[in-house]
Amino acid sequence: MSFLVLENIKKSFGQTQVVKDFDMSIEKGEFVSFLGPSGCGKTTVLRMIAGFETPSGGRISINGKDQSRLKTSQRNIGMVFQAYALFPNMNVFDNVAFGLKVAGKPKAEIEARVKEMLSLIRLDHLADRYPYQLSGGQQQRVALARALAPKPQVLLLDEPLSALDAKIRVSLREEIRQIQSQLGITTVFVTHDQEEALSISDRIVVMNAGRADQIGTPSEIYNHPATRFVASFVGTLNMIEATVADPAANTVNVGDNVVRLRESVGALRAGDKLSIALRPEAGSLSENAKGDTSLTGKVVSSHFLGSVIRTKIDVGGNRISFDMFNAPDAVIPQAGETVTLRFNASDFLIVRD
Amino acid sequence: MKTSKILAWIAIAIGAIYFFVPLIGTFEFSLRMRRGEYSFDAYQSVFSDIQFQQTFGFSMLMALFTIIFGMLLVVPTAYWVRLRLPQVRPVIEFITLLPLVIPAIVIVFGYLRLYNSSSWLPFTGSVGGTNTLLVLSYMTLSLPYMYRAVDTAMRAIDVRTLTEAAEILGAKWPTIMFRCIFPNVMSGVLSGAFITFAIVMGEFTMAALLNRPAFGPYLQLVGANKAYEPSALAIIAFAITWLSMGLLQLVTRFSKLTPSRP
Repeated sequence: MSFLVLENIKKSFGQTQVVKDFDMSIEKGEFVSFLGPSGCGKTTVLRMIAGFETPSGGRISINGKDQSRLKTSQRNIGMVFQAYALFPNMNVFDNVAFGLKVAGKPKAEIEARVKEMLSLIRLDHLADRYPYQLSGGQQQRVALARALAPKPQVLLLDEPLSALDAKIRVSLREEIRQIQSQLGITTVFVTHDQEEALSISDRIVVMNAGRADQIGTPSEIYNHPATRFVASFVGTLNMIEATVADPAANTVNVGDNVVRLRESVGALRAGDKLSIALRPEAGSLSENAKGDTSLTGKVVSSHFLGSVIRTKIDVGGNRISFDMFNAPDAVIPQAGETVTLRFNASDFLIVRD
Repeated sequence: MKTSKILAWIAIAIGAIYFFVPLIGTFEFSLRMRRGEYSFDAYQSVFSDIQFQQTFGFSMLMALFTIIFGMLLVVPTAYWVRLRLPQVRPVIEFITLLPLVIPAIVIVFGYLRLYNSSSWLPFTGSVGGTNTLLVLSYMTLSLPYMYRAVDTAMRAIDVRTLTEAAEILGAKWPTIMFRCIFPNVMSGVLSGAFITFAIVMGEFTMAALLNRPAFGPYLQLVGANKAYEPSALAIIAFAITWLSMGLLQLVTRFSKLTPSRP
């Protein structure tokens, strides 16, 4: 039986329905990310788990126990907020100890647990500091320690890295994942940053307009997007408009190129339009490259981006971005040049709405 | 130096002269009680006056009650409006501004009509009742300043997120209020308290018409009957106000309760 279960959750604010029939089961110790653009309902779902919002319909249960009648303070959930939300009048020690004091734990136990938490986030030496004396990254680590100190059954992270600068964001997300694995705590992480979600999650829920468009592992979400929205939101993707050439042979026309797809075109007939997607990193421009499929087009532009070189190629009116790793001997394609992009037919994805 | 800067300095100088010359004149006059030489006789006379001590003590007590009950009214109200009822915020702001547009004399006549000894709530029928009414009227007068001071302090700490953070850690309302919110809006509470103190110490209309022995009516009484003491009292009143303002600045500047912000 799953540890955290969301069954048919709905939420409306007035006439606007922000979460629609949301279903999800999360296993104990799993790290699940809710990924989506602003306003897709991901934070609302998180706030319903926390008890800050009451679902308009559906049921939330943790470890088999229905949470609907429990107040936020009774749910034993830890939460880290985007804005840190440390108590400004308390130093680091007191902030971390707050939940334990509220629970009426003995003084010695509080002291030991706070020390344990501070050493976990490697801030033992800052126990006497006040929040305003800490950097953003340090404040968020204290917030994490504060959330974990009372040993919550579920940890909720509401865009905890959004307010931090790029470098700290990367190091802190790794730290969060490492601490989560170490403690084995069931975690729900809300983010609009696909890289964050892909890098630290066991599973990702891609949300769009109040619904879960796809739930899967980072690899499944990236390599096999289930909808056009998921395909366009996660990673960079070339959307290519093609025309079915021969449905029996699964071939399509992209400009003057005839391409065979691995996936069946289904009930489409010759001449019907369909969208296929190709990741920019798929394929190679090298003549020696392996691959059973190719597209020939004209280079529109090439941009040097440091670790990669991004080339835009026009193929029958479709502008395809192609990324190749930078190397000292890399030949940068020039605008106007005719090139052939070689790749495997399996790199193509048929995108359905 | 640029012309605009010179003009700015001239404007500041004119303002300073307008403000300080009467003050210096009053102070100088208050020292002239003894013929032919400067002395603090007027101050000595004021401080040794039993009525001064009584009225000053009475007003201090009234100020203390006004601050305590005012804060008990304003802090939860401002908190609740920020947290749960943001839509009524303009209404509350309007209500708190009313004492600035309705003259004190109108308010006190309203009180006397509503709460006189033959009304259903005869506040003015006893000394205790009248004192209670006086505290309530002072609370009304200080409402615009007190509410704004507390509301501004609450805006600075993101009350909603702090409340949610405390709530999810298992805290109940009294704990949230007194351990997480109150200490963090203390600078606003103290600012409001000092302004309230300054208002109450100098207030005349309410105390005079409710016939209570407050410092304001005493100032008027001395002003009408004595020569040098009123000047000394004016300087003392200024000193009290400035002390309040100075403490307010100190509290604001040295408050270590700077909010944690992303």
